[in-house]
Amino acid sequence: MIFRLKQRSVLPGFKLTLGYSLLYLSLVVLIPLSAVFLKSATNGWQHFWEAATAPRVLASYKLTFGMSLLAALVNSAFGLVVAWVLVRYHFPGKRIVDALVDLPFALPTAVAGISLAAVYSSHGWIGQILERVGIKVAFTPLGVWVALTFIGLPFVVRTVQPVIEDLNTDLEEAAASLGASRWQILWRVIFPILRPALQTGFALAFARALGEYGSVVFISGNMPMRTEISSLLIITKLEQYDYAGATAIAVVMLLVSFALLFLINWNQARSHRFL
Amino acid sequence: MSIEIRNISKTFESFQALQGVSLEVKSGELMALLGPSGSGKTTLLRIIAGLEFPDPGSGEVVFHGEDVTGQGAQQRQVGFVFQHYALFRHLTVFENIAFGLRVRPRNRRPTEAKIIEKVTELLRLIQLEGLAGRYPSQLSGGQRQRVALARSLAVEPRVLLLDEPFGALDAKVRKELRRWLRRLHDEIHVTSLFVTHDQDEALEVADRVVVMNHGRIEQVGTPKEVYDQPANPFVYDFLGNVNLFRGRLNSGRVQIGSANFQAPDHPETLDAPALAFVRPHDIKLSRQASSEASMSATIVQLSALGPYVRVELRQEDGELLEVQLTQEEERQFLPRPGETVFVELRNLRVFASDYSI
Amino acid sequence: MSSLQTASETKIRPVPRHPSAEPRWLRWLLIGGALSFLALFLFVPLVAVFVNAFHKGWEAYWQAFLTPSTQSAICLTLLTAVIAVPLNLVFGVMAAWAIAKFDFRGKNLLLTLIDLPFSVSPVIAGLMFVLLFGRQGWFGAWLDEQEIKIIFAVPGIVLASVFVTFPFVARELIPLMQSQGRDEEEAATVLGASGWKTFWRVTLPNIKWGLVYGVILCNARAMGEFGAVSVVSGHISGLTNTMPLQIEILYNEYNFVAAFAVASLLAMLALVTLGIKTLVESQHASALRHKHPVQRPTS
Repeated sequence: MIFRLKQRSVLPGFKLTLGYSLLYLSLVVLIPLSAVFLKSATNGWQHFWEAATAPRVLASYKLTFGMSLLAALVNSAFGLVVAWVLVRYHFPGKRIVDALVDLPFALPTAVAGISLAAVYSSHGWIGQILERVGIKVAFTPLGVWVALTFIGLPFVVRTVQPVIEDLNTDLEEAAASLGASRWQILWRVIFPILRPALQTGFALAFARALGEYGSVVFISGNMPMRTEISSLLIITKLEQYDYAGATAIAVVMLLVSFALLFLINWNQARSHRFL
Repeated sequence: MSIEIRNISKTFESFQALQGVSLEVKSGELMALLGPSGSGKTTLLRIIAGLEFPDPGSGEVVFHGEDVTGQGAQQRQVGFVFQHYALFRHLTVFENIAFGLRVRPRNRRPTEAKIIEKVTELLRLIQLEGLAGRYPSQLSGGQRQRVALARSLAVEPRVLLLDEPFGALDAKVRKELRRWLRRLHDEIHVTSLFVTHDQDEALEVADRVVVMNHGRIEQVGTPKEVYDQPANPFVYDFLGNVNLFRGRLNSGRVQIGSANFQAPDHPETLDAPALAFVRPHDIKLSRQASSEASMSATIVQLSALGPYVRVELRQEDGELLEVQLTQEEERQFLPRPGETVFVELRNLRVFASDYSI
Repeated sequence: MSSLQTASETKIRPVPRHPSAEPRWLRWLLIGGALSFLALFLFVPLVAVFVNAFHKGWEAYWQAFLTPSTQSAICLTLLTAVIAVPLNLVFGVMAAWAIAKFDFRGKNLLLTLIDLPFSVSPVIAGLMFVLLFGRQGWFGAWLDEQEIKIIFAVPGIVLASVFVTFPFVARELIPLMQSQGRDEEEAATVLGASGWKTFWRVTLPNIKWGLVYGVILCNARAMGEFGAVSVVSGHISGLTNTMPLQIEILYNEYNFVAAFAVASLLAMLALVTLGIKTLVESQHASALRHKHPVQRPTS
């Protein structure tokens, strides 16, 4: 048994609560999840490789990974600025803005999807302005990027914000009294302290974007080879009863997600070194 | 490098932290800023460092004849040691100490070899040669404090400022470290100013002590001066335990209850209320009344405090009185709770009581 | 020239900046940048939901809710939440008790496994259940014989929702209960309280705000889940459509007002969720430090 009590405790309920947790976890998460891997294993390596690397599938990876990366990068930059502004400065409406940052966590993706599609379409409020300068958002990879940026927005803010809150102004004062300029303080003292949180936020936003479906499908136009994301391709294959093909893509996406999860945990553990 | 502070005031919203403070720190001196919390001592230190700025137009900070009031912390070249050290936790001990050298503008930045030399020298000075590669989280409190000190010394500061340097340490380390600081200062002689609320620390370490209260300076003097000749009741009270008596002052004598004492400092005061102070170790107990020991009191409680015994007595008017005896005195006198004895007050200090504490 | 002289006479100098402050121009640039970014990606789309919903007036808005298919979608969404939230609530409390109150080997593994659904794409979550219970799935033939329908029916929708909302309550409670330690529970046990009484009278009052927050987050996600539900639902109008799926159908039928009207309900739910979150946080600021699935390093 992997799970064993290290020390006797006076509190009751260890076996009951742990047992129930493990049972529920197995039924809801572990068994269904292993079904995906088992399914792909029964189809054989050859078939898996063909299904996972077909040109249309590769194009969807390229779009999904590329736009997720771009969205996570933009979110890192602006998320850092938003977190900084929310902690360090005062301006009217700050509390409301702070609360609304979590909107992408709470707003159903389908709602976000149709709304972004409406706003960024060529008749939409923002879309028509951009169209005038020659930028088309809806039904282009740019539209995918907009949706993925929306969906990943809170991650960097919410991971970096508490670290900025915990930053003691002592550190900045110490650096200043040692002769550092404001830029040197930001670059040599504050940024290194924020970096682990920033990396975590980036990875979370990236992981979230990779699997996103609802907010993207309305704005992207879903054209094969051009604006078709991997999640959508899984659904398309399912609708054609190509279970093996859908599973192959799913396995690739899952492996990437787990690798990211591992990376996030490793990065967090590593950053504890000097905390 | 001397520091001169002229008529500095500082207001935080509605709270006046400093009210027209002037002070001179002599070159090479180690000075303590002593006072209760909220007395303005840390604010004063931060103003000298350039981390806070005096109310506009209120006065100036002068380093060796140069007015630095308009300069920020970056330009002042002061060493500042923070109460909680403020070490950069993502940098090793070595890089923490080297920080001030590395951030210099390129034309004034020392070569890598010079930096290594300087940091190694400082590590030797703080006796942490082997720990250059550690992170602050791997050090003890006392070690962190010394790293913080070395970091501030690396930039060859014109003055060294320390904010409650031993405040976050436990009692034993604190004592060791403050003696070490004294020795270090004797070695390097940089003009230093440290803030503390611990009178023992101030009296033991400093060349001179500044006693502050309510944003003002109450007294400046050597440890002996402020302890033996406190300028006012506040200073007397703040520097150690005291017994307070209320009495009346008249032509060089003070009447306390039925007893009468000389008050040579006030020959001309006529019939005025007065406060008199006596340190617990300046009281002698005896079983016979005499001209010196004319006040009687009842022993309430004895408690042994290491080398001393504290005797608590109740005076006739009900006020409590604290007496400190050495163990030897206690063995000779053998005070017993419940017994009524006579007390002799020595080194009585009398203040006309327009003062309040 | 004269103004310069008076300035030097009264010795008013510019006060230098505090070392932890940026210059004013940079401050306003950063605030402006942050707000513009948020406006483009958050505020405008949020406002657009309501503007589009009411774009043809109250009457048209109201009409959207009178169609039977929309009404049944609303009912199914509520049903899904009513089943999924309590299931995950019980699990969350159980798991948090085991993890926060006991030291055991494998705790970190368990924590990682609980987080797993966060890193599984919703579409893949749906796919899992199709592979298990679909006609070609492992149990497909057996289920067919028993005439039990899970995929393209309500049970599949509930299962998918349970999976995607699995970690929410546990994730909220575990750090909270860990930070509170076990002193109070041990004291209660020593005083003779049973385990159940201890939980009910000592633990629960301490975690109630975290519990409230976990439940509303779980609920918001259960009602709003789209990808996973989309895979298992089969989109049978009036039978297996939840509100998000109904939005998609209305939108694809170019019935924009109705689509946004249903969307506005869910957006309102999201705003209420955020409102409660803000309230809970200010109510219990210290206990809810860990407001995000990412554990904050403590220094």
